[in-house]
Amino acid sequence: MKISLFGAGAPRRRGSARLMLAVLLVFCCTSIATVYSQQHVSKRYPTGKNVRLELKNIQGTITVESWDRDEIKVSATMESPSAHFTPRLVGGGLSIDVMSDNRGRGDVGDVNFTIQVPVTTSVDVETRRGDIHVSNIRSGSVRARVSSDGDIDLTGISASQVSASNTSGDILFDGDFARGGTYEFSSGHGAINIRIPGDSAFRLVAATTSKKIALGHFWNNSFQSFGGGRKYVGDVGDGRSSVSVTTLSGSISFIRR
Amino acid sequence: MNCERCQELISDLVDGSLSREDATALNLHFGECLGCMDVRNDLEAVVSFCRTNRGQYEAPPNERALWLRIRNTIEVADNANVKSTQEKRAGGLSGFLGRSWQLSFPQLAASVAAIVLIVSLGTVVGLRRIDSRGVENTTPTVSQAKFNLNDRKWQQQQTISYWNTRVATNRARWSPQMRDTFDRNLNVIDQALNDSLNELNKNPHDEVSEEMLNAAMNEKIALLKEFSELE
Repeated sequence: MKISLFGAGAPRRRGSARLMLAVLLVFCCTSIATVYSQQHVSKRYPTGKNVRLELKNIQGTITVESWDRDEIKVSATMESPSAHFTPRLVGGGLSIDVMSDNRGRGDVGDVNFTIQVPVTTSVDVETRRGDIHVSNIRSGSVRARVSSDGDIDLTGISASQVSASNTSGDILFDGDFARGGTYEFSSGHGAINIRIPGDSAFRLVAATTSKKIALGHFWNNSFQSFGGGRKYVGDVGDGRSSVSVTTLSGSISFIRR
Repeated sequence: MNCERCQELISDLVDGSLSREDATALNLHFGECLGCMDVRNDLEAVVSFCRTNRGQYEAPPNERALWLRIRNTIEVADNANVKSTQEKRAGGLSGFLGRSWQLSFPQLAASVAAIVLIVSLGTVVGLRRIDSRGVENTTPTVSQAKFNLNDRKWQQQQTISYWNTRVATNRARWSPQMRDTFDRNLNVIDQALNDSLNELNKNPHDEVSEEMLNAAMNEKIALLKEFSELE
């Protein structure tokens, strides 16, 4: 005697159950694969206060933020195929070169970095593709470079030399211009927004083919326009720092903080 | 790396005794500096020739005697030239100065008139030459500037061509996503380059367009160079 668990409509329900089971299995496998295809590493490096961080990434986001400890903490999430990298303490600074460490390996996955540094760290970070965020740094220099796609946010920055450049993506600088400092922002196809205190003093050269240059509060009669509004040159206050902003086809905006 | 340091290391590079790190730095420099690349190519050609033809060239028989003969021939030729020049000078000058000058009044007046005429003509011709030199002096400056501009343009094209070749070699190893990213960004820059060129065609003296063209060109070189490092 045969005993059926499914009753009269058994074949049809059995088919549906099998289908659901298969979907569930695929979902579980995918989730497990996703979890295992990402690797996470985290390590701390004791340093002094005035240190330098250098990072050359291939692809992935870079987040650098300050904390109140005399050490650098590097956390990274690596997607498959995982890239290798070995941070090196060099002359009071930390250097991470994902490019060199993976030369000859061909395609490697994204490496997403979150790095915590002493507030007075000089920061020099670059990636071929991916966003860069640097926040609350008060040091000699901050440099951020994205070779292709990627936004750059530099917030809470007080440094005498700042440079940010990308090809496609927006750039935001929110910080102070130091006396005698040099500030360079350039983008191929993105908007550049500069948010600074109302009493900032600087000499500005701003150029874009789109003619979208908004100086807002910082506009004054000393500004000269060239090329039918594609370039503005002038002093704000005593012009004690030098600011250069160029975007090939995006907009430029100055916003008072 | 600067050119001085580069040229110190080129010999080691050609000999194959340079560290990998220095060799990489040198190759990067060659991509940016055509002058140093030429030096490397020349040195490679010389070394290659010497290696290929090692032991095949022979010293001439009695080398010292050959050099003595060459030196004697040159000295004899020089002495002969000096003597003939001195004789010519002595003959012309002594003849002219030793001559007795006795002129009648009409001859004297004709001579003075001739001198005045010659000096006037000389002055006019001289002034015209000075004017024409002014023009001549500006012409080379313009052509020099044009040459420099063309030279610079040619160098930029060579640099772009070099990095393009490297990108073409390496891009097969990139992920499809990376290839898309590169192509899209290169198009963005090329578009900006074309826009600036179009503006310059309409108005050749538009300085802003020229600046944007330079910025786009530098951006393109940077993009190519940075992506060519992906291996």
